[in-house]
Amino acid sequence: MKVILEVKKLKKTFKLSKKQQKIEKSKLKERIAVNDLSFSAYEGQIYGLLGPNGAGKTTTLRIISTLIKQDSGDAFVDGVSVSEQPEKVRSKIGFLTSDLKLDEFFTPNYLFNYFSNLHGVDEVTRNARKLAMFAKFGIDEFSEVKVSDLSTGMKQKVSLVISLVHDPKIIIFDEPTNGLDVITAKTVIDFLLDLRAQGKTIILSTHIFSLVERICDQVGIIIDGRMVFEAGMEKFKEPNSLEKRFFELYEASRGEHHG
Amino acid sequence: MANLWTIIKKELRRFFTDKRMVISLLLPGIMIFLLYSIMGDVMSNNLGQSEDQVYTLKVENEPDGYKSALQTLYHLEYSDELTSDEALAMIEEKELDLYIIFPVNFLDEYNLGNNPSVEMHYNASSMTSSAIMNVYSSFLSNSLQQFTFDVENHATTMDTSIMLITGMIPFLLITFLYSGAMAVAPESIAGEKERGTIANLLITPVKRSHIALGKIIALSIIALTSATSSFVGVMLSLPKLMGGVPDFSFAMYGFGTYLMLLLVIISTVLIFIVLISLISTYAKSIKEATSLAMPLMIVVMLVGVSTLLGSAASNPLLYLIPVYNSTNALLSIFSLQVDPLNLGLTIVSNLVITGIGILILTKMFNSEKIMFRK
Repeated sequence: MKVILEVKKLKKTFKLSKKQQKIEKSKLKERIAVNDLSFSAYEGQIYGLLGPNGAGKTTTLRIISTLIKQDSGDAFVDGVSVSEQPEKVRSKIGFLTSDLKLDEFFTPNYLFNYFSNLHGVDEVTRNARKLAMFAKFGIDEFSEVKVSDLSTGMKQKVSLVISLVHDPKIIIFDEPTNGLDVITAKTVIDFLLDLRAQGKTIILSTHIFSLVERICDQVGIIIDGRMVFEAGMEKFKEPNSLEKRFFELYEASRGEHHG
Repeated sequence: MANLWTIIKKELRRFFTDKRMVISLLLPGIMIFLLYSIMGDVMSNNLGQSEDQVYTLKVENEPDGYKSALQTLYHLEYSDELTSDEALAMIEEKELDLYIIFPVNFLDEYNLGNNPSVEMHYNASSMTSSAIMNVYSSFLSNSLQQFTFDVENHATTMDTSIMLITGMIPFLLITFLYSGAMAVAPESIAGEKERGTIANLLITPVKRSHIALGKIIALSIIALTSATSSFVGVMLSLPKLMGGVPDFSFAMYGFGTYLMLLLVIISTVLIFIVLISLISTYAKSIKEATSLAMPLMIVVMLVGVSTLLGSAASNPLLYLIPVYNSTNALLSIFSLQVDPLNLGLTIVSNLVITGIGILILTKMFNSEKIMFRK
C-alpha cells in the first residue's frame, strides 16, 4: 500500500503566558504539545488518533493541515512537505474540525461555489460534485438558506461537504461527530466508509472508542504529545479491547509522571 | 488572480447584500445631508430675520433724527407709552427688544465733552433683542464719531467659495474616509477571526498575499462607498449650509480638480484600510480592533484639524508623511493651488506605504501566533 501521510519526528512547543501558567498551575514558560511524533497512514485507510484532552492530537492535525508550523520534524502529504510547500499540501487535504466555522451570512450553495473556486475546481466538476454531495446529505433542501438559520447538525453537514469540495486525497476529521444527533452521526460515519472505499485516506481524531473499533484500520494513541502505541485494529479483539489498552497506557504514563 | 477576484467578490457580496451593512454605509451621508440642510435653513432664517424682523423698543429722550435714520434701515416699532417698570418687565419677558434711556440734552452734554452715559436694557437670551442692541450701539457710536466707513469687499465669488470650502472640507473628508474604513475593516478581519471563519480560508491553497490583497481591495471599495456617501451628503448640503453667504458656488472646480481629488481619496482610503486591517489582524475581536483603532482616529482628526487654519504645506518632504500629506493635498486641490510634485509625492508615498502594509499583513496571516492568538 502507498504511504499517503508520513509524519516524521514532529515537535511543537507553545509559550505559556503568565495567565496560562496560572491556569495550568505551572511555572514552566513553555509546554511541549507534540514531542517527537511519528506515524504513517496508507492509501484507502482510516487512521484513528486517540488520546486524552491536551494530548496533542489537534496540534498534530493543525500542523498537517498547515494551519500552524512545527518547531522541528516534518510531515509529508502524498510526498509533499508541509513546511516546504504548504500551499500544495492544502490542495491535497480536506480538514474538518469544530474550530473551523462557516461564514453564517452565506448559504451552503454560495459557500460550496466559493471554496470550489478557491481550490480551482472547474464549474462543470463543481456542479456535478455539489449535486451529488448535497443530495447525499440532504443539503439540497436548505442550500439557499443562510448558514445562520441552520441547526447544528445541518451546519456540520455543510462543513463536511465544504471540506471536500476539491476531492482531496487525504481527509482530516477532528471529532467529526461531536454535537451531532445519532442520525446525522450515522450519515457522517457511513460517508467516511464510502470515502475509504473510494481509496481516500482518512485521519480521524476522536474520543469514541467504539467508533475507532468500528471503522478504523490503524490506531495511534497519543499521550503527552508522544505516540505511545500504534497498531492495526486486528490487535484489539476481545478480551484485549482498545478501551482497556488505552487506559493501561494512560495509567502507565501517569505513573511515569508521578514516579 | 482568479482567487484574488473570488475573495474580492465574496467580501463585496458580504457587505452589499446585507441590508444592515448597506444602511450603515449610506446612513452617514443621508444624516449629514439632512443635518447640514436643516442647519443651513436655520442659519438662513436667522440671517433673513435681521432684514425683515420687526424690533420693538422704547427710547427715552432720543435725540432728533435718530429715529428716522434708523427706520430707513430697520423695521422699528416704538412703544414710548410704556412706563419704565413696564418696559423692564417686558424686556425680561422678551416682549420688548430694547429699552434705552438717554440723559436729557444728551447731544449738548456730549458736545461739551461731559461723557454722558446712555442706559441700554436688552435680553441677551433673545436673538432679536441682541441684534437690535448691536444695531443701535453701532449706529450711536458711528453717529457720534462724525465719520462713516466706506467698506468694499473685493473677493470674487470664487475666492469666497474657496475660502469656505477649504475651511472645512479637507478635515471632514479625512474624517469620513477614516470612519468609512473603521466601519468595515474590523468586521471583515477581526470579525472573521472572532467567528472562526478565517481558518477555513487559510487552509485553502490561496496565497496569503492574495488573501491580504483581496481583502484590502474589497474593503477599500466598501470604505470608499461609505466615504462617498458622506462626501456627497456634505456637497449636496453645502449650498444650503452656505445659504446665508452670498456668492457661494462650486462652479470653479472642473474635471481635473475632481480627478486629482479622486486619486488622493483612493490612495488615502488604501492607507486607512491597510492601517486598520493591520490592527484588526492583530486583534482577537471586533471590539478589540475598534478600541485599538480609536487612538489612530484621534491622530487622524488632529492632523485634519491642522488644515482648518493654515494653508497647504510647501515642503515636499512633508508630503511623504501619510495622512498629513493627504490633508495638505486635499487643501491644495480645493484651493486650486496644486503643486504637481507634492500631489505626486502624496499618491506615490501612500501607494508605497500601502504595499508595505500588504506585505506586513501577508506575514501576519502567516503567523499562527497572530492568527490564533488566545
